[in-house]
Amino acid sequence: MVSISFLNPLSPEGKDIVRELGSFDGISQDIPELRRLVTRNPSQEIVADEEIPSNYLELALKRIEWYVKKKNDREFNSRRYSFLSDQAITKYDVISFYLLCQSIGVKFGPNSRETRVMVEAQGDLVQERLGKLSLQEGRLMVDQSLQLLLKGDTVHWTFFQELLSTRKIRLTELVLDQGELILNPEDFIDRFGSRIKHRNPSSMYQLLIGDELKELLMVKMVMQETEDYIKQVHEKARIMVEPNPILLELAEEVAEILAEPMQSYGYGPGRGGGGPMKAGPLNSQAFPPCVKKALEGIKSGGRNDAIVLFMTPFVSYARLYPDVFRMNLSKRVSDQDPQLEITQNEILPLIYEAAQRCVPPLFEDQPQEKVNINAKLGFGMHSELKMEHEGETTWYTPMSCEKIKLHLPHLCRPDEVCKKIGNPLSYYNRMLWEVRTLKPADDSGSTTASAENSSEGVEENNGSPGKGGTTPDKPGEA
Amino acid sequence: MELKPATPNERRQYYREEWDVKNVPDFIRNTLIQREFGFDHIGRGPNDRYRVFRNSDDLRKFMRVRTPFAAYSSVAFYNNPKRRGGWIKAELVFDVDAKDIPIRTCGCDNVCEICLNQAKDIVMGLLDTLQGDLGLKNINVVYSGRGYHIRVLDDAVMAMDSDVRSQIVKYLVGADVPRSEYSSHGMKYNLEHFTIPFGYPQVFTHRVKQTLLNLTPDTEIDDVSKDIKKAVIKNRELLHDDQWGIFRKAIGPVRYGRLVKGIASLNLTLVDAKVSIDLKRILRLPSSLHSGVSMKSTLIKNLETFDPFQDAVPKFVYERDDK
Repeated sequence: MVSISFLNPLSPEGKDIVRELGSFDGISQDIPELRRLVTRNPSQEIVADEEIPSNYLELALKRIEWYVKKKNDREFNSRRYSFLSDQAITKYDVISFYLLCQSIGVKFGPNSRETRVMVEAQGDLVQERLGKLSLQEGRLMVDQSLQLLLKGDTVHWTFFQELLSTRKIRLTELVLDQGELILNPEDFIDRFGSRIKHRNPSSMYQLLIGDELKELLMVKMVMQETEDYIKQVHEKARIMVEPNPILLELAEEVAEILAEPMQSYGYGPGRGGGGPMKAGPLNSQAFPPCVKKALEGIKSGGRNDAIVLFMTPFVSYARLYPDVFRMNLSKRVSDQDPQLEITQNEILPLIYEAAQRCVPPLFEDQPQEKVNINAKLGFGMHSELKMEHEGETTWYTPMSCEKIKLHLPHLCRPDEVCKKIGNPLSYYNRMLWEVRTLKPADDSGSTTASAENSSEGVEENNGSPGKGGTTPDKPGEA
Repeated sequence: MELKPATPNERRQYYREEWDVKNVPDFIRNTLIQREFGFDHIGRGPNDRYRVFRNSDDLRKFMRVRTPFAAYSSVAFYNNPKRRGGWIKAELVFDVDAKDIPIRTCGCDNVCEICLNQAKDIVMGLLDTLQGDLGLKNINVVYSGRGYHIRVLDDAVMAMDSDVRSQIVKYLVGADVPRSEYSSHGMKYNLEHFTIPFGYPQVFTHRVKQTLLNLTPDTEIDDVSKDIKKAVIKNRELLHDDQWGIFRKAIGPVRYGRLVKGIASLNLTLVDAKVSIDLKRILRLPSSLHSGVSMKSTLIKNLETFDPFQDAVPKFVYERDDK
């Protein structure tokens, strides 16, 4: 029988395991038992002796390595990590989970890339482990875990507030009645049985809820608990005096593993854009459909939002700081355009032009919107763009596609490229990059300008302009 | 009835003779000191904001003296409403403006009985889902002057952030096409939304039906050709008895897929989503005058029988010479 803590280390069982361990003393000592378990696993492939984790810390790093390789390495071989799905390692696995969360919490905090990777890796690992169980056993485990996680028989959908807010699940995926989540076959038949015609209610239950939805909820809740735990550690660490050096060291090693794929595999176009984007003149051919549409002029409702909230941030960032999401560092307009010349001569004219094309022209009946445009560029609520006012407001970053769909639905006419991005600025970067790297290939007569070819191009590009290539993508941007 | 703007004199008459602070609904009067108020004095938008009132009487005096063009109060509750500081929670609101509904069969320039009725139908559908699927209580419906506001004051949702609210909007309006492929024990099955009589697929079916029945040949829908629209109009009688399977066959399964996808994105404009996700929005004060159309914003007791042209017309309109 698999232990619940093998799927959810934060369960009471998992907490018991950590309590038993007591302290960090001897955490880096060799555990012969762990080595033995790894080597005796029949599906385990071992290439080199040093690949075998021999203590808690090494096991922790193997968890991260597994995830990173699985995502990035084309030659990823899952058999080298077979031990990760072997329930015999549960005790060691739980400890290594806590070590990872604590080190990431202490060193990087909840909004870091390290946290995101840890949370996603845990989700993937749970799924992987469930997949290795028999149908019966898997079902039992999911049911038991859910019972612990849901804390009660009837669950109101608002219980999932956090999962909904972080978009780990979508409200439309849940089956709801009178506010309650319907998860059990009895409830399902009781509530909906009489409505179901021409079909067998039980098989309908299997299809719509059954194992799939339960597993999804369980996995996402474990992910959320992991995230919450890291956050908790981070908050505690801020009041504590001295973090354990072992944790800090482990955190460094985690960061190293995460940095590796960008050096050896490159972040090709498949991962949301090419190398570093340098600011340069705007290329209107690379604009996404929504921007092109807004440039044509807004004919009905939503003129203000389209010009002030949507176009102003997009045009200014695309021109001055297209890298903003990758750099994850906020700047001021004047950091990129010290004399405000580009802003005055290129950016504002383009925005004003779009405003003029609105029907009726935006400034004709709402001249005050010029002030609002200045405000969104970070220059406060003033009619003139003056350096002394900079910083009174913040330079708004471009709206995400999600937001545009809500605020300005009539602008959103997605094309194929849109499906791969989450923000119009990413679209722009991606297209610019494609124009730049694919064009020369076309000129030289090459017929193989495929994705594989272009991803090699990224590595070359990364080499020259310095550090840009090793900066992580912003979470959720790809 | 012609909907024309109210003159300053008419506004004065309304606030001094007809309006009573007691007409401001309890759900606002009881939380007056936690809300921010905003006013539009000349008809150019609510730029007199950050107002607070310690009690109903202060509000009463202000309205009688200033007789504003429009009055608003925040959906948010604050510890310090004067600075919009100390945000506590906010009503969950849905704004259905008759002027902006995706398919208007009337073609009027402003609002009229036809589009207001359409707006009311939409509101009824949204209410069903809010109460039925989401199990929410304490819901108020207000006639805004040009449409309807649904204002949810259920504590289960009032603390929720914009991201959750946007998920609620999408569920309510049917903005995502439900998946049609399901699997069990390694077998794949196809279930179209209309074969699932509960949960989100059912909500989606209701919204799509409503849209299809109102569709006109001129309605612009992404990726949906004139031919498809013609086929819809020709065959939509089938939907009255929910003969979806036959309807889908008549349209053609591929074209049907394109059609529902287009309608899903059109559905997102059933409500003004940015009102719903804004945690600090100000909303027209029920009982106040919508001076643009000379109608009273009114808390509705019975939506079925509510008729804005009976129940939301201020007295001065009947006294107009040119009536």
